[in-house]
Amino acid sequence: MGILVSKDTRVIVQGITGRLGALQTKMMLEYGTKIVAGVTPGKGGGTIFGIPIYDSVEEALSEHEAEASILYVPAPFVKEAAFEAIEAGIKFMVIITDWVPVHDALEIKALANEKGTLYIGPNTPGITIPGEIKLGMIHTVTPGNIGVVSRSGTLTAEVTNLLTSAGLGQSAVLGLGGDPVVGLRLKDVLKLFEEDEHTKAIVIIGEIGGTMEEEAAEYIEKYVSKPVVAFIAGKSAPPEKKMGHAGAIITGGRGTAESKINALKEAGVKVAETPWEVPTLVKECLK
Amino acid sequence: MRAGGARMRLYEYEAKAILKKFGIAVPQGRLAHNTREVREAFVEINRPVALKAQILAGGRGKAGGIRFARDVDEAEKEATQLFGTPIRGFKVDKILVEERLNIARELYLGVTIDREKGSPIMIASSEGGIEIEEVAAKSPEKIATLHPNILRGVREYEVRKLIKRIGLGGDALSEATRIAWRLYQIFRAYDAELVEINPLVVTAEGKIVAADARMSVDDHALFRHPELEALRLERFEDPLEREGQVRGVNFVNLKGNIAIMGNGAGLVMALLDAVKIAGGQPACFLDTGGGLSVDRVERSLDLLLMKADSDPDVKAIFFAFWFMISPAEEVTKGFLNVLAKRKPKIPMVGVIQGVGAERAVEILNNAGIKCYPTIREGINAVLELIR
Repeated sequence: MGILVSKDTRVIVQGITGRLGALQTKMMLEYGTKIVAGVTPGKGGGTIFGIPIYDSVEEALSEHEAEASILYVPAPFVKEAAFEAIEAGIKFMVIITDWVPVHDALEIKALANEKGTLYIGPNTPGITIPGEIKLGMIHTVTPGNIGVVSRSGTLTAEVTNLLTSAGLGQSAVLGLGGDPVVGLRLKDVLKLFEEDEHTKAIVIIGEIGGTMEEEAAEYIEKYVSKPVVAFIAGKSAPPEKKMGHAGAIITGGRGTAESKINALKEAGVKVAETPWEVPTLVKECLK
Repeated sequence: MRAGGARMRLYEYEAKAILKKFGIAVPQGRLAHNTREVREAFVEINRPVALKAQILAGGRGKAGGIRFARDVDEAEKEATQLFGTPIRGFKVDKILVEERLNIARELYLGVTIDREKGSPIMIASSEGGIEIEEVAAKSPEKIATLHPNILRGVREYEVRKLIKRIGLGGDALSEATRIAWRLYQIFRAYDAELVEINPLVVTAEGKIVAADARMSVDDHALFRHPELEALRLERFEDPLEREGQVRGVNFVNLKGNIAIMGNGAGLVMALLDAVKIAGGQPACFLDTGGGLSVDRVERSLDLLLMKADSDPDVKAIFFAFWFMISPAEEVTKGFLNVLAKRKPKIPMVGVIQGVGAERAVEILNNAGIKCYPTIREGINAVLELIR
């Protein structure tokens, strides 16, 4: 069950010897994630928690089969690491690192599109299929049939934890990444949840900025038959100090909390005022 | 929410220096910091000038931030007024003195990021000099766009096609194409989020000149641009927001009665919303950022207490942390270190959840910080305090 990854997915960790990479690798292994190799240039030949380390993704893949890669590489090196994974044939990437330059994110997106690689991030907490696999740091989960997709990190933990506490388990929980340019977008994940037979209802955790929620609302109206509940953060945020006019032309005035909430409501989505309303609304939908 | 620092904006004179470096014509001009320098600039240019307040806000013209002068005394008079009047809330301490152009036609050129498509976008319009979103709303047919392939770069013929679509031909087509192509090179070279020329003026003499320019740079890429990094901090007018930048903490100053801190922008935004719905007013947005360490907690809490101490409207402090990786108890030391040096004068309520939360709550409760296991309970408690 789940989307994008499963208990059988084999994973390499890029940046496995860094502080965060090592700490997270240990926690992922404890969860049961099948990590087959790690990559840190210059540390090839060693091991960490019994996992062999290689100097490059290519070398790792010549010794092991893997479908997915998770990146804990420092921001200045993320572009090269992602390029390496994409060109070595990795099918799914999780880019945990934050502070990645947006031009690098644009280049990663272009190459991934060219090669057909799917990814989430940068600046994502990862994806967890409860009871099967954890790629990243989302841990407040329990198996069930609610699909959770978010643009945030700690707010994902909060909402998922509220669902878990209310007895509402999850089919998958994932963060898309908090950056302006990310891999999978909300509507892409809605499609996956709609097709996933284990998912009975969908929870969206959105926030101000960009137009992913508006785009998702259009998609829901046309293609999503399952009930959707949303929470949008940033209703009380003062308008962002304006960046300039060329940015506004693309969004055409969209991107505020109000515009997102209205678009979602018009598409039949139940929108929660606070995070703790989410479980109540989900239960109403499932009645 | 991103603080102002997430995009470093450049002043018009800085953006124009970059355009010039890349071979794009800009009006003859000089930056002045006082009326004496304005007089000197006029003498040097020696023909009618525009005096342009250098502020990091749009709508400057409408707010009276652009004046004109035909002689040196008029220039001094207008400059005196400009230096003395805040424009859009910004104090004017720099004026760009520029030759006045004989405008035959005003166009628009811009390069920015199309988030939806995940691609750069070049925008051209046959109507410049007014806000481009107005053009987009009223006459979208006057706007042409192009999504260059970022991996191979933009081709000149693609740009020529774009410029042709806004109605240019002959020499003007070639010159505007050259300028737009160079604008894209600037966008890439500087990790810009936006670089725009508005208006791009065709003069009565047939020259094409960037009359006004706006540019902002992705601050996540400033490690590649040390010359800009050095200028970054002075962009923050608010002393506490500037201090946040120094400390690597995302801080936005607001007016309200509850100072709010948390880890993660989405979470903190949700806290602000919930406090407001419950009847409180958020006094600030403080996102510590990820990878919570003792040091990071110290830098953040200390800044929050600075806010509480300096703003008499703030009646209570509220924080909520989610520990997804490192155990919460490890960073409680950060709280204790700050509190040993700086005692808050107003009540503080917190919420700690995630890895190691129970132990952390116990430690903080013993230190006199009332902590709750859920955000809902924490918010109820802090609102009780200000009632």
